[in-house]
Amino acid sequence: MGGELGSLVAAKLEAEPWVGALVGIDVDPPRRRLRKAEFHLLQPSQRERIVEVVTKFNPHVVINLSVWEPDARTGLAHARQFTADATTAIIGAAAECPALEGMVVRSGIEVYGRERNSPTRPIESAPLHPTSEYGHMLANIERQAREVGRRVGIAVGKLRLAPVLGKHVPSPLGRLLRQPVVPFSLFADSPFAVIEDGDAARAFVAAAARRLDEPINIVAPGAITTLQAILRGKRVPLPLIGPEWRVASRLSHMLGAPVPDHVVELMHRGRLADGAKALDVLGFAPVLSTPEVIDHLYAWESVVRIGSISEAVA
Amino acid sequence: MAQLIEFPIKAATRAGNALVQPLRSAWPVHSVDDYGRDPHLISALAPLAKLRWDVTVGGEQHLPVRTGALLVCNTRRFSLSTVYAALALSEATGRPVRFVGRPDIAPVGPFMRRIGGLLARPADVLGALQHHELVLISAEGTNHPRNAGKVPHELVGPAVLAGVPVFPVATMSSTVGRAARVEVGPQVRPRRKRRGPLAEVELADQVQHHLQRMLDGFGGMQTGVAPIDWLAEG
Repeated sequence: MGGELGSLVAAKLEAEPWVGALVGIDVDPPRRRLRKAEFHLLQPSQRERIVEVVTKFNPHVVINLSVWEPDARTGLAHARQFTADATTAIIGAAAECPALEGMVVRSGIEVYGRERNSPTRPIESAPLHPTSEYGHMLANIERQAREVGRRVGIAVGKLRLAPVLGKHVPSPLGRLLRQPVVPFSLFADSPFAVIEDGDAARAFVAAAARRLDEPINIVAPGAITTLQAILRGKRVPLPLIGPEWRVASRLSHMLGAPVPDHVVELMHRGRLADGAKALDVLGFAPVLSTPEVIDHLYAWESVVRIGSISEAVA
Repeated sequence: MAQLIEFPIKAATRAGNALVQPLRSAWPVHSVDDYGRDPHLISALAPLAKLRWDVTVGGEQHLPVRTGALLVCNTRRFSLSTVYAALALSEATGRPVRFVGRPDIAPVGPFMRRIGGLLARPADVLGALQHHELVLISAEGTNHPRNAGKVPHELVGPAVLAGVPVFPVATMSSTVGRAARVEVGPQVRPRRKRRGPLAEVELADQVQHHLQRMLDGFGGMQTGVAPIDWLAEG
């Protein structure tokens, strides 16, 4: 509930008529004013405390958004550790709640992997062959949720999100695209799709309301290549062929925009998925298309001056 | 202070803008569709394709206007029949026709993806057909231009699963000349209703039979000089 996506989901859930009480747990305080929700500031490692809070509340629905994307808010090692700890604690605690009817977990289209000859636009039934660290982390969350769902007999919905971008979402892809000079793969400028954070939050609310019990891809319509995104954002494209990617990644890391393996994979091999099932099952259609999400990303001002805000308000 | 910090970024951005402005004005910043096909690149390459092939298209009225369909063409080895047939049919129908059989290795794979290529995988074909796309697959390559090779039933299977019609597309081109022909035949309807995998196997056989009949109808070049006829047939 403390991250941008968590705060958005909580704010949208508060507005839902079917939601009575709401409890959230995160390592950061909420980024929005929440009126109904009760918030607990807990670390992923505080498993006993998390279990206590969750079991005491005894929810009907649990939404697990506790996923740390590598190099978004923390490096790979910490991201892996935090995600594993949080998943074990939240999903384990949820299994102890007698009133629980359903659980919705965050996953990503990275679980399909981009090995050679993998489907261009995988549907939900495509086999999971993650080829990046982040993909493995997400596949592990799905596996744990599925096992708990089977054991305690609850509905488990898995929302496989395209890379989430938004004005305030910490994302290695978003950060890289907003650099003044952005590298792209000259010989394989493959297309990818993304999803805006507000759309992703709406999908979680819809999945929770319907007690979703299957995996669903959440992808904005359309696609864009890295070069097209760079040109849209009026950045300088830096064509790379192969070996110099390692150098470029290191340099980018030093400049404050680390490039994890799943982002390199996206730029080389693309990342698309078929999002048609979301409309059929959840009645959910993203408001923004992929190019529009990219435009919103670039519309974010780097420095917002207090003076200009005051003038605008006045 | 903020202006001082921002100065190098602004300077780099301004210099970059000046450098890439010509590229930006020449190339649209959003031109790929959900599958990575780039209509702008295709139209840019059209003059080159026309230098190689002068394609006559027939029978396109058989194709559905809105729904998906699987098209199956014959192919002579190294003739790139799926590529020119897909481009010609796209132009004739006004709908994107995606061809199956791109490799998944750079730089050829990504380039073919941009001109409408899909992987020769049932999952890719099924996904496109379920999205009401026109998908063109090819029969096995042959040495003779008027022989239809075996139709891969594993790629016809997605059409059965998606419940879309299957059309034979006879293609003919020359290795030396520009003339090429693409003829779409009427829908191939399965003779029997099957519940299992025999449906796609039998349908694939029927399509091959239809293709062969259409190719026989094309006839060959007869100048009286065997080597010229052979060359003309490719």
